[in-house]
Amino acid sequence: MAKQTIELRVNGDRYEVAVDPWRTLAEVLREELRLTGTKIGCNQGDCGACTVLLDGRSVSSCLTLAVEAHQREITTIEGLAPSPDHLHPLQQAFVQHGAVQCGFCTPGMILAAKHLLENNPQPTEQEIRRGLGGNLCRCTGYNKIVEAVQAAAQELAAGKEG
Amino acid sequence: MKNPRIIGQSIPRLDAPDKATGRAIYTDDIKLPGMLYGKLLRSPLAHARIKRIDVAKARALPGVKDVIIGADTPQVKYGNWRLVPGSQDELPLAVDKVRFVGDEVAAVAALDPETAERACALIEVEYEELPAIFTVEEAIAEGAPLIHDESPGNVSLVRKIAYGDLDQMFAQAHYVREDTFKVHAVQHAYLEPCACVAQAEEGSRVTLWTSTQVPYIVQCLLASTLGLPENNVRVMKVAVGGGFGGKMELRPWEFCAAFLALRTGRPLKFTLTRSDELAFGRRRHPMSIYSKVAFSKEGKLLAKDFQVLLDGGAYNAMGPTATYLCGTFGNMLYNFPAYRYLGQHVYTNKPPASAMRGFGAPQAAFAAETQMNLAAQELGLDPIDLRLINAMQTGDEIPEVATISSCGFKESLTKVRQISGWDLKRKDKKPGRGLGIGCFSFISGGVFNWFNTKYNFSAAEVKVFEDGTAQLACMACDIGQGPDTVLRQILSAELGVSIEKIRLISMDTAATPKADLGTWGSRVTLMNGNAVIQAAGKIKDMLAPVLFSQFDLNQIHDLAFEDDKVFVRANPKRSMSLAECVYKALKGRRGEPLTARGYYTPRNKGLVSPAFSFGAQVAEVEVDADTGLTKVVKMYTAHDCGVPINKMSVEGQLEGAVQMGLGYTLMENLILDQQGRTLNTTFLDYKMPTAQDMPPGESVDVDTYEPEGPFGAKEAGEGLAIPTAPAIAHAVYEACGYRCKELPITPEKVLRALGKIK
Amino acid sequence: MAMPHFTVHQPKTLEQALDLLSRHRSGVKLLAGGTDLLMKMRQAGLKAEHLVSLNRVEGLRTISYRDEDGLVIGGAARLADVGRHPGVAQHYPALAHACSVMATPQIRNMGTVAGNLVNAAPSADTAAPLLAYGASLVAVERGGRRQIKLQDFFRGPGLSVLEPLEIVEAIRVPAPPARCGSAYERLSARSQVDIAAVGVAGLLNLDLEGRVLRCRLALGAVAPTPVRCLEAEQMLEGQAPDEALLMRAGASCVRSCQPIDDVRASAAFRRAMVQVLAQRVLKRCLALAQGGAS
Repeated sequence: MAKQTIELRVNGDRYEVAVDPWRTLAEVLREELRLTGTKIGCNQGDCGACTVLLDGRSVSSCLTLAVEAHQREITTIEGLAPSPDHLHPLQQAFVQHGAVQCGFCTPGMILAAKHLLENNPQPTEQEIRRGLGGNLCRCTGYNKIVEAVQAAAQELAAGKEG
Repeated sequence: MKNPRIIGQSIPRLDAPDKATGRAIYTDDIKLPGMLYGKLLRSPLAHARIKRIDVAKARALPGVKDVIIGADTPQVKYGNWRLVPGSQDELPLAVDKVRFVGDEVAAVAALDPETAERACALIEVEYEELPAIFTVEEAIAEGAPLIHDESPGNVSLVRKIAYGDLDQMFAQAHYVREDTFKVHAVQHAYLEPCACVAQAEEGSRVTLWTSTQVPYIVQCLLASTLGLPENNVRVMKVAVGGGFGGKMELRPWEFCAAFLALRTGRPLKFTLTRSDELAFGRRRHPMSIYSKVAFSKEGKLLAKDFQVLLDGGAYNAMGPTATYLCGTFGNMLYNFPAYRYLGQHVYTNKPPASAMRGFGAPQAAFAAETQMNLAAQELGLDPIDLRLINAMQTGDEIPEVATISSCGFKESLTKVRQISGWDLKRKDKKPGRGLGIGCFSFISGGVFNWFNTKYNFSAAEVKVFEDGTAQLACMACDIGQGPDTVLRQILSAELGVSIEKIRLISMDTAATPKADLGTWGSRVTLMNGNAVIQAAGKIKDMLAPVLFSQFDLNQIHDLAFEDDKVFVRANPKRSMSLAECVYKALKGRRGEPLTARGYYTPRNKGLVSPAFSFGAQVAEVEVDADTGLTKVVKMYTAHDCGVPINKMSVEGQLEGAVQMGLGYTLMENLILDQQGRTLNTTFLDYKMPTAQDMPPGESVDVDTYEPEGPFGAKEAGEGLAIPTAPAIAHAVYEACGYRCKELPITPEKVLRALGKIK
Repeated sequence: MAMPHFTVHQPKTLEQALDLLSRHRSGVKLLAGGTDLLMKMRQAGLKAEHLVSLNRVEGLRTISYRDEDGLVIGGAARLADVGRHPGVAQHYPALAHACSVMATPQIRNMGTVAGNLVNAAPSADTAAPLLAYGASLVAVERGGRRQIKLQDFFRGPGLSVLEPLEIVEAIRVPAPPARCGSAYERLSARSQVDIAAVGVAGLLNLDLEGRVLRCRLALGAVAPTPVRCLEAEQMLEGQAPDEALLMRAGASCVRSCQPIDDVRASAAFRRAMVQVLAQRVLKRCLALAQGGAS
């Protein structure tokens, strides 16, 4: 059961890492690459805090083996902002609308929202609530998160037109 | 009094950008050079004597650096109620006995978490199993096995309140009713599992990064359990992923991390799993509540006899506070002449209950408010009218507690009646739909010094610099509720320095002034806010002489500190920038920095709280009579939190409280088997509401000004977790006829009540 | 608990995957979405020294629908993709519904329909709809392939007739006939991050006179395996379906279930819900069949 050398393509960067095949993507992102923005809230695939995008799809990185992500495109929360002082519209909207409290669910929530908006750029409120159904939050009661996603959807749509 | 502009604004949290980009560091993100990983071995039995522990095999496992059991430790008992040493009943690692499934027995330090876990499995513990008790009724029954030898009858604490002539009131009353209620165990379910990292330095000093809401309490109790001076322990700030009362004590892993770091000379980390949290973590007290009330014909509440058995689990934890407050919450909302409270904190062989958002109030209010709704029906009164007849008002006295300095309860009732369409919807009732009401009052921090601190309850240190920036240092603890922003708003409002120019150092017990008791009881905004204002005032006193000499002012003049400037209030042209003013003051002080400290301890405010918030909530629900499922259609809230410092933060607290209250009422429940093992140890089976389960809400702030609070502010957020359960329960009754006296409201209970299942 | 140690094999073809299975015979498990398998390995002590991943096997994610062949769901096709496939949405609304409400978006993006069936959880959400649609599994092993009717597939909780060296290559679902309506209803205490406490799927096919030509009703989470309600089906077939008959048929489903008490619900509640949901499903099926475009 030797370590396997894999190539992880995270946020446009390529990393070669030797990993034990039983390591999850969440563990390798956090412990090997030290990208700790991906949070582990349950390690059981229920809370969504570890959500990352794998080839554009939102997945629970705590139930994804790192070796299965070999040479696939991974987006984590660290890869969303175009520059350190310029946030992605979703991040900006989460900040502005008070959708961040303790912040532990925030990275996963934002990535789940990104996946949702990519598949459905103008979702209804109910569609947003369904789309975020895999991400638990204990602080906000979700309403401000829903508002933030609505605002970001508008912002992104306006950006595309302009 | 007009407040500065920044008060009451919706300022985005200053920590939010770091959290939204993944830059914010939480405890488990910390990895130090040479760091070891710790794991705890826990008891598989609910009640047993430890006969023998053999750690030889665990020690021999390659990669294991240390193994400790209770006998290796100083064996100093701890607990938050330092004022009553007899209440301190916990040891970091069990010595003679284990008292719940999950009681900590040993700890391992190893090179990696898996090795530590394997080593735990190699520790041999021989137990002599003892009979275990899982209900308060069994625990107080005669001949019940003793969980702690020091507590006969398994009652660890009794709290009594009595005033007025109860018997006479019950005798003369027009209407008397008695009811019993039961509430269940639920958990904080903060998203960040507990974690801590300890590092030893200079021999016997230790630094602890930990996911806590009480850094000062952890510092003190860690020092005492390690047998070290307080000053040898430093507790450090990182982002905390929620707490809600679940992280307000010293915990065994914090002790073990520090102890093992000192023994091994290497940093060490513990991170709990979600299953650990759900199976062994703190929870809200289950309670059995008996309540008897008397009313006059007109609906005046005359007397209440309130008896509560709190199921504390295996240790006291924050149970004593809950036992005290439960009694206080039984008489805070309504003004009535006779009251008797008997609260008993009872040990059982379950994971300890402790503080959780509302500190005894959600349970007490579920009983008391449900009973109000029952009484209203029998008295033929509208439930809101019945409350208006009895509601507390500004200046009323809560007997043996305090005189209420601001109270918007009646206004809250009137407003919530309006926004919910209460009268019309009740008249024009649709089948399967119902409206229900629940009310609350809550404290803004505690007065009773159970921690027995020698320091002020809150402290803040302000420094200003010649570039016009400031630094605020305090031990206030942001666990997501927002003081890192709110306290800077308060400093900005008081000193006129822009909020973005304030650097904050918080929650480092070595670098911030003593003390702050932590985040609990909705105390931070009021108490630390007052300390910040006092410190800022002292800085203003240091700066004032500069203007007076510069402009040769008459001493009758007042100065204003606004917009990064200092100027004469009556003549704003006489002005200089804050930066220049600090520069000149510094010159005048021959280089002595401008630093000031402010403190706050409530004085002459009784023994409970310096201020009280009030509010009323209406739930509108739909009950599917075939499936028994309750859908909350909308929540309406009107509340009095004084002057909100940050409107958006207050809204966020309210909405979050509804999520927690809704979960408490309808779906969350920790289920134990016959051996005291928790059955639902995943978020799949511990069901807290998702985005889809959350109803829309409408809310109104009732304007009041709390004289004791900073810029008129008081509690906003914890109290709002209280009214949801009675409101929903009432609405369910109105919708389908099922009157819930035992939470949670499950579809099964609804269907049973409707006679659809047996 | 820590994850047990294993080797992961990532074959590119089904043949390679089958070779790997037989080479490692004992102690090998198939890995597709991983959402059930990895949880069981980490939480429930399930062990395997070798995992054979199906995620890089060519062609295994295909989903296709043709009127003449019906629906073919590849062995590694994921729940989310099945749920939003136009052919599934149009012709198999019960399956589309199950695939888009179960678990969470993330789990649906990872987990596969085949995995959902092969794990043989009594509560598997796709099982009841696929039973109602008369689905079969195509299982391959080195010696060849066989077709297994889904109704013969389950043996008990976590048990099926699939042999250890077999791989589900595809799930085949016949095209629904004209004048057909189908629906799936599930019940749980919460909207998402949940397992159904009860699930009922149904299909009604009417003849030209509006009589029931064929009825299929299947239950999830109320017996050791997903089950068909043969009694209700027989009550309806050949009959003109009026409301009273639908109610009686729905009520009879209770006799097809053997629910247990567990953390999620009591047996009594589950029994009551079988009736309620079966009646709702039948009404919906009838409405769709009568309005029936497809």
